[in-house]
Amino acid sequence: MRKAGTYLVVGPFAIVLAFPFYWALTTMFKRDRDLYNTKSIPYVYNDNGGHAHWDFWNYMTFHHVSFLFKHTEYPTWVENTLIVGVAVVAITLVLALPAGYALARLSGGWGQSMGVAIFLVYLVPPTLLFLPLSRLITELDLKDTLWSLILVYPSFTIPFATWLLMGFFKTIPQELEDAALVDGCSRLRALRRIVFPISLPGILTVVIFSFSLCVNEFIYAFTFTSSTAHRTISAGVPNELIRGDVFFWQSLMAAVLIPSIPLALLYNSFLDRFIKGFTGGAFR
Amino acid sequence: MAEANDDLEGACSGLTRRELVQRGTAAAFSVSMFGGLAERAFAFAGPLKYKNRHLKGDLKIMQWSHFVPDYDKWLDNVYIKRWGEKNDVQVKIDHIDNSLLPATAASEAAAQSGHDLFQFLFPPAALEQQTIPLNDVVQEVTKKLGKMTDVAYRSSYNPKTKRYFGFADNYVPDPIHYRHSFWFNAGIAPNTWDNVRKAAAKLKAAGHPVGLGMSSELDSRMFLMSLLYCYGGALQTADNKPSINSKGTVEALKVMRDIYQQGESDEVFAWTASSNNQAFLAGRLSLAVNAISIARSAEASGNTALSDDTWIAPIPRGPVRRLGNEHVMGVFFIWKFANNKAAAKKYLVDQQLGYRDHFLQSKFYNFPAWTSAVKGGFKTMRKLTAADNHKPSGKYTVLTTIAEKYTTNIGYPGFGNAAIGDIFNQSLIPQMFAQVAQGKMSPEDAARSMQGQFKTIFAKWKEQGLM
Repeated sequence: MRKAGTYLVVGPFAIVLAFPFYWALTTMFKRDRDLYNTKSIPYVYNDNGGHAHWDFWNYMTFHHVSFLFKHTEYPTWVENTLIVGVAVVAITLVLALPAGYALARLSGGWGQSMGVAIFLVYLVPPTLLFLPLSRLITELDLKDTLWSLILVYPSFTIPFATWLLMGFFKTIPQELEDAALVDGCSRLRALRRIVFPISLPGILTVVIFSFSLCVNEFIYAFTFTSSTAHRTISAGVPNELIRGDVFFWQSLMAAVLIPSIPLALLYNSFLDRFIKGFTGGAFR
Repeated sequence: MAEANDDLEGACSGLTRRELVQRGTAAAFSVSMFGGLAERAFAFAGPLKYKNRHLKGDLKIMQWSHFVPDYDKWLDNVYIKRWGEKNDVQVKIDHIDNSLLPATAASEAAAQSGHDLFQFLFPPAALEQQTIPLNDVVQEVTKKLGKMTDVAYRSSYNPKTKRYFGFADNYVPDPIHYRHSFWFNAGIAPNTWDNVRKAAAKLKAAGHPVGLGMSSELDSRMFLMSLLYCYGGALQTADNKPSINSKGTVEALKVMRDIYQQGESDEVFAWTASSNNQAFLAGRLSLAVNAISIARSAEASGNTALSDDTWIAPIPRGPVRRLGNEHVMGVFFIWKFANNKAAAKKYLVDQQLGYRDHFLQSKFYNFPAWTSAVKGGFKTMRKLTAADNHKPSGKYTVLTTIAEKYTTNIGYPGFGNAAIGDIFNQSLIPQMFAQVAQGKMSPEDAARSMQGQFKTIFAKWKEQGLM
């Protein structure tokens, strides 16, 4: 009975949240005639007269997915996104982990204020920053390279990650580190062997969140990379699949669904740790 | 306690086998990822090597993602490679969504770095001070092909500074698309605006309204200016002075208000450039003013019932004239900071001289700025369009007539100057029509109020010495 109640509450939420995925999945295999027919039921596959059919395999097409892979540089954009995402996450961890720890442990009263100040940097919108940064990227001769994104993206991932990790480190008892130091560990080794393993939920949160930010980012990706071969998913898809007033809807749906599925699975796999990561500093 | 100490000791000691495997995997992953990254990051570091050739450099071009994907494919994979090899230049074209072109140009201007050649889809007159004059390029092409079309001339020349601020390479006719069967059943032909007004209510009652937008988007801007011309209105005079407050404007505003109130719904105020395409392809609309992307998409969809019933015609006639804007006007410019100006100019000349291929590859979307760029001019273009085998037979033949007789530039009867570009970008014309259609202003007040705004805009650009 209690379980039924839970499902009753959670069920509608799950349906609402899963609906965009379902919509994208059905649309990506639709024939143009089905997609544009106002008599068709949009949630299923229909014949030319707009009548729904459950034997959907007879009324669907792989043409638009094939178009995405064969007539655009989509696989390259996925690869580029992956490269940028992994590099930015690595840079973020390398810089934000010590920064977060230092602010939490070593800066005393200043730590909190500096943490808030760093977080405020995260709130400056890219729409304001892209013009001066564009100049910087040109000066560094990084225009139209993936390096431009790898250099710029940490400007918004590091402040957020530092702030989040700072809160998380505060929840770890100081005594654990003291014990390690007494047993002969240096501070760095204590960090690596004691603090970081305990902080895994926080670190995972930073990894997943930073990666998601990189995948979603549009303005810098659009401004700093211009050739098709150097684009990431967020810049490549709208540029190649919206042509003037013609939208390639089915290919667009496929292009957004494909990367969102592994990302959703990743979130779900680490859901408990992810929640711990976000709420880690909240109860101090 | 001893156990805890053991763990701690272990933790602080050297590498375990498990750690070694973990680190090895991480290292292998890093090498595979960043090995690729380095290669990709510097992929354009060196010029393409042609056999036994000395390269004269690179040429970077920015233009829109053409609505015909195959045109871009041909351009990128065939045309520029062939041209590059012939001229010892490595050419690279970047394509972006047309709505993002102005923002990208602003970014390149701010950075003083970017592409050598940049194409706008309307006259880029406001950028004149940041670009080089192209009079020599126009002269060279004119010497070989004769006079350029008036629509191209007025979209690329500034009579005040006597400079060609851009090089118009093509223009796109803006016909009406209409569902023949719906109009046949209504017993009216969409050949005059008065007929469109009369049919609007009937067609809406039949479930197939006309699709004429009044929104901040390209299609609405173009079609509403065309409507003004047909009723004798214009944004400016032939000598480039604001003239929106006229009898013709008031009449056009009244007609559009009638069409909206009798035959449309509120959706037309929120349309995007793709809205009329989608509504037409969904079988809802009976009429839309658009480039041939609607007809071509209908054909590509495999819906022959819709495609065969989609007919193309010139803009409906008004009481004063029958004249419409081009749908888009391809105008290239060369930044002052461009690295390879010589190659950019050569590219423009050669592209225009061989425009027949572009005309065919774009499926009759791009008409050349110099008519004789297609040998035989409009006569040949008419033959080529007539050869298209989609139904109804000769469907696209009328495009040539529209391109030849019924197409003009934005800013008609004057030039496509900086003030007109500003008005165009701010969507002031759709705003004026929408306010009247929604009953927020009378046609007379709307025209008068717009004249005031126009005067301010024209004064601003005069002050900058561009008019």
